[in-house]
Amino acid sequence: MVTIKGLRGGLQINFGDGLWLSQLRELETKLQSNARFFRGGQVALNLHRLSLSPDDLRKVQALLDRHGVSLRVVLAEDIHTAANAIALGLPTSLSESNGVISTQDKSLSEIASEDQRRKRVADYPTDAASDFGGRTDGVIAQMDASDGLLVRRRLRSGQVLQHSGHLVVLGDVNPGAQLIAGGDIIVWGKLSGSAHAGALGDTTATICALEFAPSLVRIADAARACRPSERTKKNTKPEMALIKDREIVIVAWQAK
Amino acid sequence: MKSAVITVTSGKGGVGKTTCAANIGSALALLGKRVVLIDGDIGLRNLDIVMGLENRIVYDAVDFVEGRCRLRQALIRDKRAPELYLMPTAQTRDKSAINAQQMKHLCDELRSDFDYILIDSPAGIEHGFHTCLAPADRCLVVTNPEVSSVRDADRVIGLIEAAEKGPAHLIINRIVPARVRRQEMLSTEDIAEVLSTEIIGIVPEDENILVSTNRGHPVVMNGKSPAAQAFHEIARRITGEIVPFQPLRSSGSILQRLFGRA
Repeated sequence: MVTIKGLRGGLQINFGDGLWLSQLRELETKLQSNARFFRGGQVALNLHRLSLSPDDLRKVQALLDRHGVSLRVVLAEDIHTAANAIALGLPTSLSESNGVISTQDKSLSEIASEDQRRKRVADYPTDAASDFGGRTDGVIAQMDASDGLLVRRRLRSGQVLQHSGHLVVLGDVNPGAQLIAGGDIIVWGKLSGSAHAGALGDTTATICALEFAPSLVRIADAARACRPSERTKKNTKPEMALIKDREIVIVAWQAK
Repeated sequence: MKSAVITVTSGKGGVGKTTCAANIGSALALLGKRVVLIDGDIGLRNLDIVMGLENRIVYDAVDFVEGRCRLRQALIRDKRAPELYLMPTAQTRDKSAINAQQMKHLCDELRSDFDYILIDSPAGIEHGFHTCLAPADRCLVVTNPEVSSVRDADRVIGLIEAAEKGPAHLIINRIVPARVRRQEMLSTEDIAEVLSTEIIGIVPEDENILVSTNRGHPVVMNGKSPAAQAFHEIARRITGEIVPFQPLRSSGSILQRLFGRA
């Protein structure tokens, strides 16, 4: 089974132990169903124990190319697969590709100027491995800790904020603004625009806001329009949207 | 003093950009400032009509940009104020006739002779809007107290911030205090909550505007009408003076009136 998750620098595509060709088809379906999200993105491919020929690797690279996704690194536990990847000129560890993977450009389109964006990215340690002295197990720990983007500003009508990981907005999201995240969405303010959490298919993703009054919420493939009466209520309690029995429900937020 | 290029814009059409530009420009000129009003709405020019200077146009901004006349020839002097000029635009061309670079150059040429250069931007967020935004030192965003123009103002304020021309200053135009009280119209507080940008003026609905527009005589020129007073106050705020907001006539609770907030 193929799973996709957001990383600091881009996306990681994980292949499981199943049949290679069926997993390749599965990836193609995923890429097609979220074409807009993937286009222009950068990915790390984790093949785990799969043993692949150079031809197999070329095939997956071509598939990603066709969807406008650039393959930045191949992680493989199988020594032959790793050797084949190196032969094709693909980096095989995250630290090797340091500085190549950067926050997906389109995520902040129109919102921050290029310079501000660089500054924001530079605020974070970009080399995951360096935090852990370059040890591989350290890198994995970093990956498992969810990645997020914090934006301190008001989002205005027509502005789109997109990130492969979680999104946190410190400020209001005005009507007509749009948030898209691979993970969860948290708005520390009033959410009046539209929000799409779990855009890569994660049905456990949630959307929370201090004041919850969106025009539309989407989680994975589910969508829910909010009625005007729900939107104009004078509610100051934080609320959260999540999927329950395949439908989006909105509940009062409670600390677990 | 250093000259300032101020672009008046809104996103949505028909909210009163041209009326605001004409009246604020005239009010600044009546304060003794040297003012030029540039019509940025190429192909749909209106500012000359609102100013009552339509029949004095010989050359326009496009003629100057394309080298058919000198700068001074494209300026029409308005004798109702000491130093007030209009630079009209071409009616027979479209927005592509002047690009952002040319508009910047045009404004730079005017800077040495004027304190305030006001540009009346076209509606929309396309090419013409960006051309008028390019030379701006400051922006005035005009909105009406209704949801769709506030939504468009929000979009435009975002674009102004993205172009690093912010913070935009907001003018709420055509407010009717009685209708706000009956909750038929958005209040200034409602608008301020969504747009969260500094309000530089609140202009009440005023039947004198229609008459003055048709006659080509901006209300600030002779009026003590409610809108004229609001425009005079905006002009003074633009010069840096701190002018408290007048309570809108017959509006709000007694408490609101006491605290001077409409």
